[in-house]
Amino acid sequence: MTADEVLRGEGSEAVSPRRDAKAKVPAERFDPRDLVRLRAPLPRRVTVAIALGTSIAVLAFWEAIAAAGWLNPKFLPAPSVVMSAMFHMFATQNLAWNAWVSILRVWSAFLLAAVMAIPIGMLMSGYRGFGAALEPIVDFIRYLPVPAIVPLSIIWFGVGEETKIFLLWLGTFFQLVLLVSDDMRRVPHEYIEIAYTIGARPWNVMKDVAFRAMLPGLLDNLRITLGWCWTYLIVAEIVAADSGLGFVIWAARRYMKTPEVMAGVVLIGIIGLATDQILRAVHRRAFRYL
Amino acid sequence: MNPHLVFHDVTKRFGAVQVVATPFNLQIARNEFVVFLGPSGCGKTTLMRMIGGLDKPSTGEIRLDGKPVGGPDRRRGMVFQSYSSFPWLTVAQNVAFGMRYRTDLTEAEKEVRCERYLDLVGLYEFADAFPNRVSGGMRQRLAIARTLAAGSEVLLMDEPFGALDAQRRELLQMELRRIQRRDTKTIVFVTHDVEEAVFLADRVVVFSKRPASIMAEIDVAARLGEDRTLAMRDGADFFALRNEVLRLVRASAGDEP
Repeated sequence: MTADEVLRGEGSEAVSPRRDAKAKVPAERFDPRDLVRLRAPLPRRVTVAIALGTSIAVLAFWEAIAAAGWLNPKFLPAPSVVMSAMFHMFATQNLAWNAWVSILRVWSAFLLAAVMAIPIGMLMSGYRGFGAALEPIVDFIRYLPVPAIVPLSIIWFGVGEETKIFLLWLGTFFQLVLLVSDDMRRVPHEYIEIAYTIGARPWNVMKDVAFRAMLPGLLDNLRITLGWCWTYLIVAEIVAADSGLGFVIWAARRYMKTPEVMAGVVLIGIIGLATDQILRAVHRRAFRYL
Repeated sequence: MNPHLVFHDVTKRFGAVQVVATPFNLQIARNEFVVFLGPSGCGKTTLMRMIGGLDKPSTGEIRLDGKPVGGPDRRRGMVFQSYSSFPWLTVAQNVAFGMRYRTDLTEAEKEVRCERYLDLVGLYEFADAFPNRVSGGMRQRLAIARTLAAGSEVLLMDEPFGALDAQRRELLQMELRRIQRRDTKTIVFVTHDVEEAVFLADRVVVFSKRPASIMAEIDVAARLGEDRTLAMRDGADFFALRNEVLRLVRASAGDEP
């Protein structure tokens, strides 16, 4: 069952007649002029077709000019070559395991950053003094380029997992804190005041109202920050690692195995795309009221 | 009988802005419907928010049943013009949220109350809809139901019908008046709409421009009685009173030569 089917199936009972009626309407007619009309809505099937069509066309074009011999395969191998390199790597070079190692690193650092950033960010905009105390520090560290911290991180933590987690955390936590604090600031003050006038304590207001009100924006920000995590992961894995996709890419480069380098890069893209789609589906499903 | 709410020598300044300069005094009886009427930005909303404990008087105090009010609590409920309900909760959940922090009720009692107030404001059929699926008028009724379910003795309403079309507004005004009679609440209602003020109020308090002070008090209940009907709205008594108040408001805004 796709996310959309889940949405429709669950939505029809809980929501008002208006949405019910909408679900029963047959597929909308598609007027090609909508493609060039500013902000005109498009039927979902058309959007999907365009998205898939463009990707396939780019790949086909690339494959075609590679087959025609216009590309130097040392620099830009054909998509089919990259794909077969990827299968070969899955079969013989533990690519799946390396990808899994990278995913674990990204998620553990990301969750650590999120678990810390959400309460701290909320407190920063909830309590002015707390915000005033932390904002200069956060802003300062936020502007430090992560690669510049790599040597320091190796001195502190060596070349083990700690360094990688630290670098990823460093790259995301300080950004996320400010994004969370901003999400919290945008919670309408009325919600907070309503909560107080029905007898909520400050902790209830934070947990039951502010957090709940900011959740949709927060999930969006988490989704975007997770993408940055991958950037820092590759930096960390190229500098100091003997596993993970960054290591695989860097090792392949050493022998000029361009198809393998590209296979590693493409795999990161695929993982990113899949994660993003899953999180978007969660968003749609969880925030039907929007 | 002792007044329910008392403003005692209240003044208020926000930084350099003196919102209430001369000490403000007003007594509001239990179950009285008082409307604060005045030009935009005159400070009437600030005075009402001070009852709720959402703003603090700079000097003086506000007493509820003879005791000075502190921060906000459940006894004084608030209905805002916008963002009046939580979008992530269904209509019924929003009403129930009003009782979320009450420990004096069992779950079963909460359920009964929730249904009762949904019914009272005519939202029973929409219990499972999300607020963005119902009309603006229904959302305002929802906010009223939540506040009643919370058990607030005092309802503070800040232009709650401001964003509604004229017809819906009229219906809601009737309903609010009916709810107040049935559920006996003290209501402080802020508006700049003269007709709304006269139609709803037991007493209209007309404010001057900022800094806020009382220009006039009109005992509407004595002139129009306690029951309000749509037919009355077209009657000569209502019309005369409305014009009278309108002249006072014009004078307070300084528009009349």
